[in-house]
Amino acid sequence: MSKLVVSNLSINRSELPVVSSLDIAVESGAISVLLGANGAGKTTLLEGLSGIIPVAGGTIEIDGREIQKARPGVRSREGLAHVEQGRTVFRQLTTEENLRVSLHAGADIAEAYALFPELVQRRSVKASLLSGGEQQMLVIARALLTRPKVLLIDEMSAGLAPVIVTRLMSAVRKLADNGLAVLLVEQFAALALSIGNRAYVMRRGRVVHDGDCLKLLKSPGELHRLYLGG
Amino acid sequence: MNALLTSAVAGLTAGGTYALLGVCAVFTYRLVAVVNFTGAAIGTAGTFVLIALYEAGYPIWPSVAAGIAAGTLVGVAIGYIMTRWFGEASASTKAAVTVALLVGIIAIGLRLTGGQHPHNMPELFPGSAFRMAGVEVTIASVLTIGLAALFTVLADLFLNRTKVGLNLRALADRPMAAELLGIRVQLLSLLVWGMTGAFTTFALMIIAPQRSPNFMTLSLLVVPALAAALVGLFRSFWRTLAGGIVLGLVEGMASSIDSVSQYRSAIPFLVVLAVLLWSQREARWDEAR
Repeated sequence: MSKLVVSNLSINRSELPVVSSLDIAVESGAISVLLGANGAGKTTLLEGLSGIIPVAGGTIEIDGREIQKARPGVRSREGLAHVEQGRTVFRQLTTEENLRVSLHAGADIAEAYALFPELVQRRSVKASLLSGGEQQMLVIARALLTRPKVLLIDEMSAGLAPVIVTRLMSAVRKLADNGLAVLLVEQFAALALSIGNRAYVMRRGRVVHDGDCLKLLKSPGELHRLYLGG
Repeated sequence: MNALLTSAVAGLTAGGTYALLGVCAVFTYRLVAVVNFTGAAIGTAGTFVLIALYEAGYPIWPSVAAGIAAGTLVGVAIGYIMTRWFGEASASTKAAVTVALLVGIIAIGLRLTGGQHPHNMPELFPGSAFRMAGVEVTIASVLTIGLAALFTVLADLFLNRTKVGLNLRALADRPMAAELLGIRVQLLSLLVWGMTGAFTTFALMIIAPQRSPNFMTLSLLVVPALAAALVGLFRSFWRTLAGGIVLGLVEGMASSIDSVSQYRSAIPFLVVLAVLLWSQREARWDEAR
């Protein structure tokens, strides 16, 4: 059953349409990979889903409950977590404090350290002093502690070494295997497709492909064509 | 020398008020990222509710409680405007909005309170607390400084030892990231505005009898308060506290020297200028190299 269902969604920026009549679904226990060239509307879509920017039309449902008019905090409490682009740690707080901030009822900080044991040694360090990889681990772990049903992740690999990206990808796969519905926006298409289940490709604010990740991974020519059009 | 000391000690009450208002300004800036020019005006509004009730014959302490409640409400109302419509605006835009609101509050306040019309402001804590170097230190002085120190300690404890304080620190750092984690951003922001409104009101109630209880005069106490906050670079509560007290002492001493007495209201401006120049010294030095 789909945890997140997006129907006929439109989002504008400065009154210009960036996402138009978009339909996607994200299943529990699966990773939906969202690909597309720069400017396709991927980040705008994620910001519309989490409520950072308002949507112009359409519906967003989590477990059948419409949330498109709710504020970001309400969407979070409904089970939607958004790991934004740019590693948005709370810089003046320590690693442990960052985790405590997001701790929702029923969650335990130990879950975060179990997912990323690398953070245990860094628990008392200010988040601004962590490495890029550690910061990315921290924001994913922080999102996990909000007890989400759906996790949106935007470009988590930006600026990170390949070995760290692989580590993060395996952690995200683990989260999906534990039942989370994940929508992953990623620039490393091949790596994302290798851990994903369903692939969407966006171009100019619309979904131009909806299919199986492995199938698309085995057809680099098709992926290239979808990115560039024609 | 004795006259200078007497004047300095007389400046303690004002210093305590500058310190408290300054600490409140730092609190607001650190937690909701607003350089708040309405701080003293919010307290003045509450103080004038006390004056109105007192002049109407109501007993003093229930009137004080009503005044603090009114100051809290005005603070929350300003906070609602800032959070609802200017939450994502730049720091300079937010500061400009509070200046506009200050002008509006002063205009409404002068209209409602009759401008220069003299008011009967009750002295909440009359009398002397103790003598220092042969000078009487009033209870009001001790209380304002005590209240400022109490607010500083409480603010530190609140921010570092409670979950709400932790959430506020997160909110101050990245408001949107905090909201995405389900933190009730608007509610917490209003809590900050309400708390500072209540403390500011009580401080102004104590100092008002020593000042001209005129809506504009009390509202413009925000100038020395922001000078004190600048001494703490809008980050350190303790440096702001010290800055406010020293500012009051210097103002007090200046009042006893005939040649500088008429310029003493310019002292906060000089402090602002000095701190800005001092804080920019590294940039100037780097530039010069």
